[in-house]
Amino acid sequence: MAELDHWHPVLFADELGRKPAHVRVCDRELVLFRASDGTATLGALADVCPHRGMRLSEGRVEGGRLVCPYHGWSFAPDGEGKSPATPAARPCADAFDVVERYGLVWIKRRGAEAAFPALDVSGYHLIGKTRQRAEAPLEVTLDNFIEVEHTPEVHALLGYPRERMAEVTCEVTSTETSVRVYNEGPQRALPRPLYTLLQIEPGDAFVDDWTTWFSPVYTVYDQYWLDPATGQRRPNALRIAIFFVPVTTGQTDIFALSYALAAPWDRYGLNAFAYLLTRAFVVMELRRDVALLGKLADKSPELRGRSLSRFDKPLGLARKRIETIYRGG
Amino acid sequence: MREETEVIVVGAGPSGLSVGACLRSRGISFEILERSGEVGSSWRNHYERLHLHTVQRFSALPGMPWPAGTPTYPSRAQMVSYLDAYAGAFDLNPRFGEDVRSARRVDGGFVLRTEANEYHTRGLVVATGYNRVPNVPTWPGEASFGGPILHSSRYKNGDPWRGKRVLVVGAGNSGAEIALDLWEHGAKPALSVRGPVHVVPRDLTGVPSQISSLFLFSRLPPKVADAISLFALDRMLGDLTPYGFTRPKLGPISQVIVEKRIPLIDVGTLELVKQGQIDVVKDVRSFDPGEVHFVDGTTRPFDAVVLATGYRTGISEYFEDAEGWLDERGYPRYFGEPVPGAPGLFFIGFRNPLTGALHDIAIEAQRVADHLAGEKR
Repeated sequence: MAELDHWHPVLFADELGRKPAHVRVCDRELVLFRASDGTATLGALADVCPHRGMRLSEGRVEGGRLVCPYHGWSFAPDGEGKSPATPAARPCADAFDVVERYGLVWIKRRGAEAAFPALDVSGYHLIGKTRQRAEAPLEVTLDNFIEVEHTPEVHALLGYPRERMAEVTCEVTSTETSVRVYNEGPQRALPRPLYTLLQIEPGDAFVDDWTTWFSPVYTVYDQYWLDPATGQRRPNALRIAIFFVPVTTGQTDIFALSYALAAPWDRYGLNAFAYLLTRAFVVMELRRDVALLGKLADKSPELRGRSLSRFDKPLGLARKRIETIYRGG
Repeated sequence: MREETEVIVVGAGPSGLSVGACLRSRGISFEILERSGEVGSSWRNHYERLHLHTVQRFSALPGMPWPAGTPTYPSRAQMVSYLDAYAGAFDLNPRFGEDVRSARRVDGGFVLRTEANEYHTRGLVVATGYNRVPNVPTWPGEASFGGPILHSSRYKNGDPWRGKRVLVVGAGNSGAEIALDLWEHGAKPALSVRGPVHVVPRDLTGVPSQISSLFLFSRLPPKVADAISLFALDRMLGDLTPYGFTRPKLGPISQVIVEKRIPLIDVGTLELVKQGQIDVVKDVRSFDPGEVHFVDGTTRPFDAVVLATGYRTGISEYFEDAEGWLDERGYPRYFGEPVPGAPGLFFIGFRNPLTGALHDIAIEAQRVADHLAGEKR
């Protein structure tokens, strides 16, 4: 399979209104549109009219069809075209499969038989969605998200204290289709009110347990805290799904969906407040990641010749699976 | 071998285990008979994607809350672990592989027969659940279809069906979620909706429907509750008739109370139906090689069929003269209360009320144990 054979999130659902929207994914330019015929149908076409090359995203939606602003040719979501001036013509636009799920719009090559990315958030509560763009290739962007060694340097709250990084465990397991990393170590010091809000105590162990999948490339993080005395889990936990979407060879979009285990109505609504802060923290930490990625001197995905640490084992495992699964070898 | 016991509990699912725990804490001796080799065998065999539709805090069995770290809607796998832990915590050791072939009432008690043993007991708790026997309807021409036709009890996940056209028959909770699961695995599912059905999102404006039911709908007159819920559903979901879902005459709350039918609790299928990703089709009329004919005269090609056509209790198939205690669909008429004319007999876990089946089981189990404790004195 090639990249676009996998489902990719390309837009937030609420960004797609009555007007068609232009997106770029895997170096392809697409136009997305929402039918205005009362159904929930979405369309995704190559953003170029097969007639004279106009950008269809400059056009408008009429009923269930997208109309080109140049000569008024119109296209159905499956690409079937009509030319008002030449009724016998049967133009055809390049169509993609498109679906709206989890508040995102997803596309893949028409007819590709990829499974939809597995994301079990049943019983979790959405706290926020965000998109950040990294000026780095897919592999190099992913690298940042599958090791915790950078957290004391790059992040403000996430991860482990610099002086105790040596205590952090890093267990890597892999299957043909996934790479899983389990990190456990002391939670870095946080501002006092955050302990109350997150329902944790100073001295708790922080677990960051994630699995990366490759159809498409995405990582689901389970983050929770353990009472060091009993080893029992604290009541709350986060589950964050991050999708890595190549825009061009040198740019990667990061779509993050953050969920909390604790219900917003728990603790008399205090959790709802905790959600607001957590959502802001996730955005802040992701911005730190992409800012850093933009400053890399060498953005080559090549790992050979680099000095790697004990936390970098997942990088090579991910490279191999990106080649065999995501890019299809 | 012939055995005498105080109380026999048939079935080691959530109901049987709950009754066991409640009897244990009241000091009554009992045996749990389980036909499979493990506790919670229905839960072990359900399709993998399944989660509870009710909130864990209101779905705990007597005496043991869900462990920390459990999400609002526990997964099937978490339910299985919970049942294992529950059996361990209350030292419940069911006799596995004991399939009750026959049960009958005798003077002062009951006689149960399994393949190897005969049990004489004063108290009998039937906790075999509403998932005991799959309902497998048949249609003309089925044998000629050529592709697999399997009941939902044998469906695990959509992996084997990638790229295949699969018809799911029955728009209950299993059917709707299996269609969703098939779609997620890259199959092309269609859902055959057989009759009118209410569709309710699992969360109504962010609040689990079970919580609205517990604290609002179950406390209102059914007609008022129907009106409120239909008002909310209209605004949230819109008119579903164009997508193939017709609304029953009876309101969703009344339907649960009067017809004992729970609505379709949507976990994401509807979003895909509305976008044309999952087709909704009519009831099946007949089969031909590689295709299915529907009652509206249409015909479509399919590679496989999943029958999400539900289960029956099968109580009358092993319990002699049980008909008087059962309704026309084979469900007991009595819940957690003594059965008139049959002292010592109790049924538990055959209801699916508004407030959630597990919530109900936890209450019934206490009542059953109280009754059995009272009779002992």
